[in-house]
Amino acid sequence: MAREIPYIAAINEAIHLEMARDDTVLYFGQNLATTENDEFVKAFGHDRVRVTPISETAEIGMAVGAALAGLRPVVELYMAEFMLVAMDQVVNEAPRFRYMSGGKVKVPLVLKAGYGFTAGWAGQHTGSIYGMFMGVPGLKVALPATAADAKGLMATAIRDDNPVCFFHHYLLTLEPGEVPEGEYLVPFGQADIRRAGGDVTIVATGWMVGKALAAAEALASEGIDAEVIDPRTLEPLDIATILTSVEKTGRLVLVDQATRHASASAVIAAEVAEHGFSALKAPIAQVTGLDATVPYSEPMEAYVLPDEAKIAGAVHQVLGSAPVTA
Amino acid sequence: MTDSEQAPGLDGEQLVWIFTQMLRIREFEERVKRSFEESPGVIRGHTHLADGAEASIVGSLAALRPGDQLMTTYRCHGYPIALGTDPNAIMAEIYGRKDGLCGGYGGSMHLVDTERGFLGTSGIVGQGIPQATGVAYAAQIRNRTRSPQVVLCFFGDGASKQGAFSESLNVASLWKLPIVYVMENNSYNVVTRVEQEDANAAAGEPLAVKAKAFSMPGVTVDGGDPVAVHQRVATAVARARSGDGPTLVESKVYRLSAHGNIIAPPGVPLHFPEHEAIEVFGAPEEYEAAKRGDPVPRFRARLVTEGIISADEADRIAGEVRAEMQSAVDFALDSPHPEAEAALNYVYA
Amino acid sequence: MAQLDSGVAPALLRTMWRIRRFEERVAQLKRTMQVHGLVHLSIGGEGVAAAVCHQLRDDDAMYSGHRAHGHAIAKGAPLGPLMAELMGRVDGLCHGLGGSMHVVDVEHGLFGATGVVGGNIPLALGTALAARMRGSDQATVVFFGDGAVQAGHFSESVNLAALWELPVILVCENNGFAEFTPRSAHTSIELVSDVVSVYGFRRQTVDGSDVPALWAAFAEILDTAREGRGPMLLECLTHRRRGHYEGDAEAYRDQLAEEEWRRRDPVARLQADAIAAGWLDEAAVAAMAEEAADEVEVAVAFARASPFPEPELMEELVYAKAGSEE
Repeated sequence: MAREIPYIAAINEAIHLEMARDDTVLYFGQNLATTENDEFVKAFGHDRVRVTPISETAEIGMAVGAALAGLRPVVELYMAEFMLVAMDQVVNEAPRFRYMSGGKVKVPLVLKAGYGFTAGWAGQHTGSIYGMFMGVPGLKVALPATAADAKGLMATAIRDDNPVCFFHHYLLTLEPGEVPEGEYLVPFGQADIRRAGGDVTIVATGWMVGKALAAAEALASEGIDAEVIDPRTLEPLDIATILTSVEKTGRLVLVDQATRHASASAVIAAEVAEHGFSALKAPIAQVTGLDATVPYSEPMEAYVLPDEAKIAGAVHQVLGSAPVTA
Repeated sequence: MTDSEQAPGLDGEQLVWIFTQMLRIREFEERVKRSFEESPGVIRGHTHLADGAEASIVGSLAALRPGDQLMTTYRCHGYPIALGTDPNAIMAEIYGRKDGLCGGYGGSMHLVDTERGFLGTSGIVGQGIPQATGVAYAAQIRNRTRSPQVVLCFFGDGASKQGAFSESLNVASLWKLPIVYVMENNSYNVVTRVEQEDANAAAGEPLAVKAKAFSMPGVTVDGGDPVAVHQRVATAVARARSGDGPTLVESKVYRLSAHGNIIAPPGVPLHFPEHEAIEVFGAPEEYEAAKRGDPVPRFRARLVTEGIISADEADRIAGEVRAEMQSAVDFALDSPHPEAEAALNYVYA
Repeated sequence: MAQLDSGVAPALLRTMWRIRRFEERVAQLKRTMQVHGLVHLSIGGEGVAAAVCHQLRDDDAMYSGHRAHGHAIAKGAPLGPLMAELMGRVDGLCHGLGGSMHVVDVEHGLFGATGVVGGNIPLALGTALAARMRGSDQATVVFFGDGAVQAGHFSESVNLAALWELPVILVCENNGFAEFTPRSAHTSIELVSDVVSVYGFRRQTVDGSDVPALWAAFAEILDTAREGRGPMLLECLTHRRRGHYEGDAEAYRDQLAEEEWRRRDPVARLQADAIAAGWLDEAAVAAMAEEAADEVEVAVAFARASPFPEPELMEELVYAKAGSEE
């Protein structure tokens, strides 16, 4: 049975279900669990649900240690930028431990962090920095764009025996979606074809998926039939589905809120250029965040982000159906 | 910590055990060091020796009981040796061989022996401290109905300037985690003297005073005396096990080797330089004094003087230890390298 | 020890009213979405801001955190450009690029605010070091809250400041809360002074609503800093009047009574002191509050009249160009 619940509720539901199912799952971080009325505290108690001080290195490092000791922590980090304070633990410790031990240990943990909060949160709270966590062997990256995927990917993340960065887009927080009740898992490394189409492939991540779908609707009225794909996880990344689509359409537009050289789109573009070159009828087009720290002022903030018009423009560009606009 | 909280003393058998483990660690580290001359090229990268810290290592571990756990720094050989991990496997790991403790994947800095409670190390100064704190969190909550495991977290004085140190000790104190933080203060952070980088040391204070900032007891102990170390650490372990929270134990040691072998590009033969006191600070008298106070012969002399063992017995043990570590070297040299393709194993669980 | 007198107290009160009225107006504007994004108000912190900043020169350096408006105003930031910054306009202090949490006003010595808790503390060490190397008596002050003390970079900075005896002045506004959790959830040490005492800091703990006490304490600290000695901590025990940020429902603060607030309102206390000392009368005080409100309205009008920035502005500012002044 499915019902509509907001994206953030879907994530919490997944954490709750997993914590009920497996008593080794922990949930801790700043500003959590501070009252007895907290739903997680009521359900699971102060051993498994704790508030921490502003100490990201300790929070993430403790998660590594607790995972080594057989527990499965979920760390609430709120914003991806707060992980930067503790980059060593995220990149140099958690994902490398198993390997360096020759497989003797595993580090199952989930780093839950919001991102992309363009709504005047300005330079230090608004980035889409998942690019920093791609290509780190041992680390997985999940990026849900719908409430259902948010629930399913979080459940999978918690059950995964590896460290997982679970990035949830802040502007999707209240976005409702049909979410199955009960246990619901979405596998990693399986892209979702959100809209089937034959004229052009659009691959978008996170909040950009909705914009790509909106652009696709508008393009449909122009007689352009776009296929929209959401990779859902960046590591592992389902290139196969994207290549199959490009085989069909021959044209690829990549949409990513991150800045160009730190985006998933750059990685996907390289893969397709290498493995799908013969299928391409036009150069790949990327619509990414512009190369600037996200500014505070609204018109400038909007300027640096991809939007429907820019996506539609890129589609026309790869179809050769309109001149390229700067 | 009051006198009434002192841990029970050690009997003769335990003292002999301590002595034996100290000898084993010393001999092992000597053989690692000699590998650079005897078999150039078998040890790559950077290795760090614990010669001089044996009393602190063994005295601390003697306070643990089965089920307790520990995490250490990259200067990690001594701990698994004392815990009973096969030195053959440790040496083979240092040589990067297939039969190494971690299959050749980790090397000198990244030993692990989960069965003996040694959950691993970090190669990054200070970053193992929050990890050990997390292990203690797990120990606390999974042992509500019985006596918890205790976790020992080993690190150096250099690590105490890292944010990871202060964040971890703050949380451990607040949550009363069953952990003991053992800071092996050897007065050096690579080529920097502790007074050059630590405000407390510069003020002539023991580093244990840092514990006050975390509302936990802090004690300083002569890390060259394994009995004293055991007494302090055991008291702290008992405190942790009873649920009263962590302690910071500052164990003063002197490492008898340089920080590590030289760092050089491939092609340049690696070796151990002289200790920084000599090489960098021009203070050979400091080094000479430390050698005179070498904890291994010091403890041997004490045991012989007190009649715990005879000089012959001590020699016999030393002979066995030499043979044991010779075997470790032979084993490691004979162990094959891993298959190259094995490099892609264990990336993900 | 410097004492407040009839010359200084009115000036402080004027500044405090300007802050109070400014922040009240910002709260209103936020509710009607004319100021957007994340805004943290300094209501309750006016006394600390005024007592500290009025003793500083324009060329003294100041750093603040996400709760920077009060510090900026007290340090001399003009209200119009500050308001324009909050409204994202081109005549804002940062041309609308930074917003509330990232204000900079170099002309008056505000080198920056940061949105990452405690992230500015290491910066202040650098400025103090530079001053000493130049042989200057420039003071460096950094404001932060008690939540920052548990972040690792605080301890790292404290050790280094003490080791190098840097003439840096740490001003901690300890309001007993970090975001939504009380200090007791963060640490077992109640007073920040006790945390830094381990490093031999010169330190003072003062009631943050007692402006005469703040004035005297800071005067002494400033003398020490100007002689090139340090480091110092001024811990101000304050009470944060509104929520952590505007929109914060403050469920956790239910138990704090209006009574308590009246006792700890620095504006009300200083007014009462000034009137009792005969430095001002009721009418003069009321006039101050009104003049402040008028000034704020002028600032709002200035901000509204200022256009939004052109997007091209950003591209100019991502990287400093060789020979560029800005």
